[in-house]
Amino acid sequence: MSEPMSAAGPAGGGSFAAAFRSSPLPMVLTDPHQADNPIVFANDAFLRVTGYRRDEVIGRNCRFLQGPQTDRDAVGRVRAAIAREESIEIDLLNYRRDGAPFWNGMALSPVRDEAGALVHYFAVLTDISPRRTREDRLTQARSHLEQDIDDRTRALQAALDQKTALLHEVDHRVKNNLQVISSLMLLKARRTTDPAGRAALLGMADRIGALATVHRLLYTAGDVSRFDLRDFATDFGSDLEAGLDGDRVRLSLAVDPVAVSASKAAPLALLMHELATNAVRHAFAHGRPGRIAIEARLDGEALLLAISDDGVGLAAGIPNPDGFGRALIEMVVRQMRGAITWDDLSPGTRARILLPLDPSERRT
Amino acid sequence: MTATDGLRVLVVEDEVFVALELECMLEEAGHSVVGTAASSVEAIALGERLRPELALVDIHLTDGPTGVAVAQALSRLNGIAILFTTANAKRVPEDLAGALGIVAKPYSPRSLLAAVAYAAQVRAGAAPERVPDGLRLTAG
Repeated sequence: MSEPMSAAGPAGGGSFAAAFRSSPLPMVLTDPHQADNPIVFANDAFLRVTGYRRDEVIGRNCRFLQGPQTDRDAVGRVRAAIAREESIEIDLLNYRRDGAPFWNGMALSPVRDEAGALVHYFAVLTDISPRRTREDRLTQARSHLEQDIDDRTRALQAALDQKTALLHEVDHRVKNNLQVISSLMLLKARRTTDPAGRAALLGMADRIGALATVHRLLYTAGDVSRFDLRDFATDFGSDLEAGLDGDRVRLSLAVDPVAVSASKAAPLALLMHELATNAVRHAFAHGRPGRIAIEARLDGEALLLAISDDGVGLAAGIPNPDGFGRALIEMVVRQMRGAITWDDLSPGTRARILLPLDPSERRT
Repeated sequence: MTATDGLRVLVVEDEVFVALELECMLEEAGHSVVGTAASSVEAIALGERLRPELALVDIHLTDGPTGVAVAQALSRLNGIAILFTTANAKRVPEDLAGALGIVAKPYSPRSLLAAVAYAAQVRAGAAPERVPDGLRLTAG
C-alpha cells in the first residue's frame, strides 16, 4: 500500500513530482485502493484545461468530466482497462466546469511499486478538440461529397434512361415506317397492270427491303454503332434466294463477320443488293442456269466485296434500258470513296469493290 | 389436314397499309384472312367470334401497347396459334404471352410467309425441321 499523497502532489516531492506539477500537459493520479478510485493529485495544467479548482477535484472519481454526449462504449473500455490493470489510450468527449465540451486524448496507465503491486493510475490528458473538429469537418465534407455524387449519378442515370427510351422509340418508328413504305409499294405493284411499271415498283420495294433488313439488324445487338456484314448477307441471301428459281440459279455466300460502322450499313446493303439483283436479272436471262457468288472479306486496310456470276457476261448482257441499277452502284461506290472493277470471267462477270475502312472496323 | 393447307388468319395490326398488304400476301399464299383488328378490344372480340387458326399480332395497337394482352386472351381460346409481328420485340414477356414466336418488323414477305408456314406445321402437330431465320422463339 502506498503512502497517501498530499493534495498538492505526490508525497516525498523530488524532481519527478516537481516535473509533473509544472508540466504543461494536464495530469492526474488516482488511488485505486480508496473507494471509487478518487483523484489524489492533479497538476495546474489539468485545472487550467478543465476549469475546476483543486479542492473540487481531489477526492472525486474522474467521471465528473463526462457529460451527455460522452461515448458510453469508450467509458466502458476505460473501466475495463482499469479492472484489468492495463494501460489505455482513448479519445473521450469531456466537459469543462462551465459545461463546454472538449476532446480529451487520454493516456491512462497503472503505476506499480518495485514489487509490481498496483499503486496508482496515472492519466495524461491532451486537448485534441482542434484535431477532432478538423476530422469532423472532413467527415462531413466527405459525406456531402458522397451525397453530391449520389445525386449526380441519379441525375445521369435518369438522363441515360430517357435517352435509351428515346432511342427505342425512334428505332421502333423507323422500323414501322419501313414496313409501311414497303407495304405501300407492294400494294401499288399489285394494282399496277403495266408490266414495266409493276417491275419498277417491285424493284423499289426490293431496295427498301434491303434497307429494312439493315434496320432490323441495327440496334438489336449490344453495340448500336456496329453492323455485322455477315448477319446482313445471311438475311439478304435468304430473301434473294426466295426470289430465285432454286434449281436453275444457285446462290453461294462467303462473307466474313466484318463489323462496319453503322453509318456504312445502308450504302453497303444497297450495293450488295444492286450487284446481286443485277446479276440475277441480266446474267441468267432466257432460262440460262448458273450460280451467283457473294464474297466479302478484309483485304489489307479495305473491305473487299465481290459478286460474281457465270452468266452471259457483260458484252452479251441484255442492255438495261435505264441502267438505274448500274448508276446506283457507281454512286454508292463513290459515296463510300471506294473503287470498282468489272472482270470478264468468260463465262460470267465479276464486280470487285474495294472500300476503305476505319482502323476500328478491321476486326470483329 | 396437312401442314400445307391454308389457315384461317386473324390480322391484328393498327397500320392499315401493313394490314392490307399482309392480307394480300396471305391470300396469295393460299391462306384466308377472316378478320382484321386495329385495337385490342376488337381483336379479342373477333378472336372469340371467328375462332381463327392463326393470329398475327402487332404489339402497338390503336389503344396502346396492348398486343401482349391480346395474345394472352387469344391463347386461352383453344386452337389459335399466335405470332407477334412487331418492331418492338423488347415488350414481349419471357413466356411470349402464349405466342409461338416473334416476326421482327420490318419483315420481308418471304420471312413472314416462312413463319406462317412454320406455325401451320406446329399447329398440325408436325415437328418442323427447322425454325425459319425470320422467326424468333424467345423474348428479349
